[in-house]
Amino acid sequence: MSDVGENDGEGPRSARSALRRTDGELVLLWTLPASAIIWIGAFLLFPGFTPPMSPTMTAEQVAAFYRDNQAAIRSSMILFNWFGVCLVPVLILIVMQIRRMAHRTPIFSYCMLGCIAGGPTLFLIANVCWLLAAFRPERKPELTQLLNDFAWITFTTVVPFLIAQSVILALAIYFDDQSQPVFNRWVAHFNLLIAAALVPAAFVGLALTGPLAWDGALSFWLKNIAIAVWIVVMGVVLGQAVYRERAEQRQRVEERVAA
Amino acid sequence: MSAVATQTASPLTRRHNPKRELWLAWWTLVVFYNFFFLVFFVITRVQPPPNPAWDTPRVVQWFHDNHFGLLAGFAIMFVITGMTTMSNALIAYSMRRMSVSRAFAYSYLILYSLSAIPGMLLMCIALTIGALRPDRDPELIHWIYDFAFLSFVGTMGVFLIGSLVWMLAILIDKNRVFPKWFGYLNLCNGLTEIVVSPAWIFRGGVLAWNGQIAWWLDMVVFGIYTGVFIFLLRQMIQREDFGTGPLPELSKAAL
Repeated sequence: MSDVGENDGEGPRSARSALRRTDGELVLLWTLPASAIIWIGAFLLFPGFTPPMSPTMTAEQVAAFYRDNQAAIRSSMILFNWFGVCLVPVLILIVMQIRRMAHRTPIFSYCMLGCIAGGPTLFLIANVCWLLAAFRPERKPELTQLLNDFAWITFTTVVPFLIAQSVILALAIYFDDQSQPVFNRWVAHFNLLIAAALVPAAFVGLALTGPLAWDGALSFWLKNIAIAVWIVVMGVVLGQAVYRERAEQRQRVEERVAA
Repeated sequence: MSAVATQTASPLTRRHNPKRELWLAWWTLVVFYNFFFLVFFVITRVQPPPNPAWDTPRVVQWFHDNHFGLLAGFAIMFVITGMTTMSNALIAYSMRRMSVSRAFAYSYLILYSLSAIPGMLLMCIALTIGALRPDRDPELIHWIYDFAFLSFVGTMGVFLIGSLVWMLAILIDKNRVFPKWFGYLNLCNGLTEIVVSPAWIFRGGVLAWNGQIAWWLDMVVFGIYTGVFIFLLRQMIQREDFGTGPLPELSKAAL
């Protein structure tokens, strides 16, 4: 029943094909820096993020914002629509590492797969609302404001699957008791910390001003910085894990050839 | 001697319940449904649902009356919705334990993973936005109200097909993971998604989204179904032997 070891075949031939598998994984892994650069570019290009739009803007001000910044909103959000989902293959690499952990069941990798589907879907809903608002800014200002509210609330409350992702990964690491665990314990503690940092953003509806508002210190800055830090740190530890797995496989092939 | 001592001690100290991943998923499921009930029935008061026949001023009044509950309650949902992945994973696992293709487990996992967004989160987002600006144009507040409740009750196919996938797996299975009658209970749950479809058409009466059939009857079936599968999943974990053959009966597994 267990999924553990399913990827590690017996014999030099299957070990070699496993090596080829991690070759493909390296390509996916190295898409991460490229996507990160595109994300940072799109983030800076969207005038609604620098600084974040205030929820206290009147309907007329919101409509004027979409009228005046049409080109930058469209180009940044089209970029996000193309590349916002770039993280999916990298997150799947985390699932591949979870499958190497000393677990009895595939529960954790199933949970991770569910989370990976959820986060980008919510982000794309927000993305479509931003693009819609920019499509006909001459529309009644109240309607543009409604689309803007949908975009911002969905963007800020994208957190449920990200929180779950971090907590599930942390638990998976805690449950991975083998002498050489796939990820170090501190990666689990780090993920719990990130999950905690994402929680305040869920309460964004409670305030139009202050730290909880969608442009506030907690709901915007803490949440987005936490996501950025998570991507960087997990990118590094994931890379180390993939390269370590590769080295172990190469060693196995050589041992078998020598034997 | 010390070597012997460490050898015997280390498996003991590192021993843990081999079923802890399954129990973690089961308890997460139970905790999630408790929060779900608390938020939807008590804090936000969106269940039982308000009336689709109300005129615009009454709808605005409803948002006014439930302002804080809606915002605080759905904030809780935004924190905990990810817990549903544990429940979906455990149910998918039940199908892997059966003598059926993995296609069933994967189909269920995908269907129920994507169901959370149109079937629940869209409502949480829409009603948060409705409560966010009480001074918004009442016509728009009414539109948000329809959007929220219809996306919630009117997302049908993922639950219908998901239940049918689970039903088929149970009926085909030879490992006796679940009793066959539970397969038919899945069919009942799937049928509620057919029964609810007229809510897209009627604004009043027994088939409207708050009606005696479309809501009350369906809620009773869903309540029984959920209670039963929580109980049966618990039994499955107790009986689990991590083998590939028939799942042992409870009395044998206890030994």
